[in-house]
Amino acid sequence: MVRQRRRRSLNQPAKQPPTPKFSQRSALTYWLIWLDVLALLVWGIVLLRFWITGRVNVLLHPDYVWLAVMAGIMLVGLAGAKVLQLLGREGRRQTADSRSTAQHFSLLPQGWSSLLLLVVGIFGLFYSPQAFASQVALERGVTETLTMTRSQPQSFRGGTRPEDRSLVDWVRTLNVYPEPDAYEGLPARIEGFVIHPPELAQDYIMLARFVITCCAADVYPVGLPIKITERRAAYPPDTWLRVEGQMVTEDLNGLRQLVVDADELIAIDEPANPYDY
Amino acid sequence: MDRWHSGLTLFFSLLVEAFPFLLLGVIFSSVLLFFVDERQLIRAIPRNPILGAFAGSLIGFIFPVCECGNVPVARRLLVQGAPTSTAIGFLLAAPTVNPIVFWATWTAFRDQPEMVFLRVGFSLAIATIIGWVFSRQKDMRPLLNASVARAMPLPADTTSAGSTETPSLLQSGTFMLGQPGQPQRLDSSLWQAAGVGATPTVLSKGVSERFRLLVENVILELRELGGVLVIGTAIAALVQVAIPRDVVLGLGQSPVTSILVMMALAWIVSICSTVDSFFALSFASTFTTGSLLAFLVFGPMIDLKNIALLTSVFRTRAIIYLFFLAGQLTFVGAFLVNLYLG
Repeated sequence: MVRQRRRRSLNQPAKQPPTPKFSQRSALTYWLIWLDVLALLVWGIVLLRFWITGRVNVLLHPDYVWLAVMAGIMLVGLAGAKVLQLLGREGRRQTADSRSTAQHFSLLPQGWSSLLLLVVGIFGLFYSPQAFASQVALERGVTETLTMTRSQPQSFRGGTRPEDRSLVDWVRTLNVYPEPDAYEGLPARIEGFVIHPPELAQDYIMLARFVITCCAADVYPVGLPIKITERRAAYPPDTWLRVEGQMVTEDLNGLRQLVVDADELIAIDEPANPYDY
Repeated sequence: MDRWHSGLTLFFSLLVEAFPFLLLGVIFSSVLLFFVDERQLIRAIPRNPILGAFAGSLIGFIFPVCECGNVPVARRLLVQGAPTSTAIGFLLAAPTVNPIVFWATWTAFRDQPEMVFLRVGFSLAIATIIGWVFSRQKDMRPLLNASVARAMPLPADTTSAGSTETPSLLQSGTFMLGQPGQPQRLDSSLWQAAGVGATPTVLSKGVSERFRLLVENVILELRELGGVLVIGTAIAALVQVAIPRDVVLGLGQSPVTSILVMMALAWIVSICSTVDSFFALSFASTFTTGSLLAFLVFGPMIDLKNIALLTSVFRTRAIIYLFFLAGQLTFVGAFLVNLYLG
């Protein structure tokens, strides 16, 4: 529409000689509309890209992924609808709502908002979010006794064979019945990434997982100490391992704790979905 | 380097989480504009400030929006001439008092259903009280963002915006001399341009025309609020990465500090009201019930992310009033819960 107005002003110079300021503003507004469209399109693609590449798993709980996908589709659709409007049917619309070409209120200077969205969106096109690393786990405090009273009553499955329990299952089990001695001698096979907590001796590592409840803002780490025969430098932080062994209890830092006495430690790839639920 | 990646992951996570809800909110608010005659809704709202605020608090049940999406709707209610108490009641309560959030909180706190009712009850009470407090201000415009103040109708004791005696060019604002004799105000808002304050021209237009305006409006609002969201999210991510969480958590067992800590956390994390109950749940065994409630009530009203959005409606002074009123009322309520129910 803005372009129409500009066109008309150019076509009818006798009636309405455009001031240079007017036509500059008009052209600017016209290009700013394209900037909006581009920003929305890029964001739509970013959301869909995170979904297609699977990186959305690093950002969101699977339950909320469909929201991001729907938003991506809608943003692309919106941008497409606006492009059609801009390219096609302007002429007939010109008089219908010439008033709506009036500038929208703006919080940021004209164009800045779209530019910001566009720049961050373009960055998102090329950046792959990384799952949180051991450093974050250490900062957030790995809890082996878990603060999550929450879902255990629903998720605790007493019938599960010990060797089929995941790291998070173990932590939940411990949380329901926090008596380490009760699990002594049970076989364990768990997967997670390595942390080197400073308070543990050199022949211990911590195997941890992040638990996500809705998005990366609320992930929190849970972990179990692993007793190894060599020094822990052999297993650098953030390495993903499958640990097989037995549960034993030990006094670590004055606390009686459940520890996995490792028989075998196998390096594995980071899972497609690095968080647990 | 890890820290940098963590910050970026948080940043994109919050954005990817918030964008769908922002989109939903903007679409709802635009549909409200182009397909619902808000003035009928506004006419149906009781004029009594307390009842008006209470009615506004309940509008969220018709228009489920989270705290990213309620701002444009509240802004529109104000511009359309809704009583201040109603708009504020809606602004503060709608993110919590709506079916989506009710359902999410119910899912999270299945074992403690009282949390759901306390959350909704407190939000309604606080929103109504604050709406009533603000209704004492007869002319809200000094407290509002200049663009909203200009777009809203004048208070009843002065002449209406359309028939003001001041020549249009003597009004403040930016004008464009587009048509002879009809200077057009450049900074008037779209909804004002779209017929608000005059006859419901938009509602009399055909569906396809309204759809076209809807797309236009959605894009305009997404652009404005999206830009602000990016800034707010960047700040939220930075703060999260900069402050070790165990420092925050270490503070949390007494009935007083736990509430303050959870309120601060709600403010910092800026998590969307639709999903914040899951987040709160992760603190369920270490934090007092009252503090969780404070998190769930205070967070959706005011947080780091939506303070930026609020500046599109209010001036800083009003945001500070809102912040402290909501904060104090939440604290008192949560403290009582800790004392008598916790």
